[in-house]
Amino acid sequence: MLATRALSLIGRRAISTSVCVRAHGSVVKSEDYALPMYMDRRDYPLPDVAHVKLLSASQKALKEKEKADWSSLSRDEKVQLYRIQFNESFAEMNRSTNEWKTVVGLAMFFIGFTALVLIWEKSYVYGPIPHTFDRDWVAMQTKRMLDMKANPIQGFSAKWDYDKNEWKK
Amino acid sequence: MAYPSQLGLQDATSPIMEELMNFHDHTLMIVFLISSLVLYVITLMLTTKLTHTSTMDAQEVETIWTILPAVILILIALPSLRILYMMDEINNPVLTVKTMGHQWYWSYEYTDYEDLWFDSYMIPTTDLKPGELRLLEVDNRVVLPMELPIRMLISSEDVLHSWAVPSLGLKTDAIKGRLNQATISSNRPGLFYGQCSEICGSNHSFMPIVLELVNLKYFENWSVSMV
Repeated sequence: MLATRALSLIGRRAISTSVCVRAHGSVVKSEDYALPMYMDRRDYPLPDVAHVKLLSASQKALKEKEKADWSSLSRDEKVQLYRIQFNESFAEMNRSTNEWKTVVGLAMFFIGFTALVLIWEKSYVYGPIPHTFDRDWVAMQTKRMLDMKANPIQGFSAKWDYDKNEWKK
Repeated sequence: MAYPSQLGLQDATSPIMEELMNFHDHTLMIVFLISSLVLYVITLMLTTKLTHTSTMDAQEVETIWTILPAVILILIALPSLRILYMMDEINNPVLTVKTMGHQWYWSYEYTDYEDLWFDSYMIPTTDLKPGELRLLEVDNRVVLPMELPIRMLISSEDVLHSWAVPSLGLKTDAIKGRLNQATISSNRPGLFYGQCSEICGSNHSFMPIVLELVNLKYFENWSVSMV
């Protein structure tokens, strides 16, 4: 790691010492000099402090039992020790949510509402469209554009068959 | 002229416009490639479960993504400058036409041989003949001979305008007190439409340009009739 490369031999020992300190649950000085705090983060797997600060009597007893051979701990005790140290497991903190459904739903709702606003506008606000959009006018206009061979290479008139007098298939 | 559902440029009517279309294809392809690469990388960044928190350097890739964009820019600049200089080549125009921009119409002067000048106003929508194009037709079109180089001198009598005909690859600003020159050389006859391309007041959208490219005989007859 860059930290161990950048620092000297003293630094190397400090990093490995901090890993040992984390494993035994005491507070660790973080590299960026922020106050030590607990966080459930995928990219910070060993938080600075334990999740539970003040242990009850049974939890204290369990911590004492932890100092002995771990094979004597039952499965539930191991889980209890884990929950003292950590709030959420990796599976819990990485779980997906249904937030996207809410976001997509609200977005579609507001788009739909906007559509209603536009329909109202067309009915009550806008005037009539110009007469050049009438079907007859557009037909005459198209004929004129074809007669003047507008865009004959790849564009408009290129798609008209002048021999058969129809659009190319 | 523009046509319904048009996606790209209008068909080229002059050799310069053909060059510009090819250049546009070349540059747009580069742009699409870069954009899709960036979009792909963003998608990768947003859909990974991997993390890496220690600082690191990346000298090799940093060198590549500095040199490669410089190379790409050179690949765009070289054709661009080539076309730019091609537009200014000496081409011995047979005719010089002057156009002055006004608020809100164009006026044209053919003064090489006779004193011919006229104004070119847009035809209002209510006065259109059946089948004519709304906001594009004018009362007096600019009739010019086809397949010959023509010099256009463009200026303005009041505010900034811009004389543009997309299918010929022309767009030249009309600036009061200044003469700008453009060259027209059309491959084929027909009507070619353009619109004022510099905001010039309330009727900026309503001062179009219509070129009528015809054979030389017809042009001669027309200019005689107009004087």
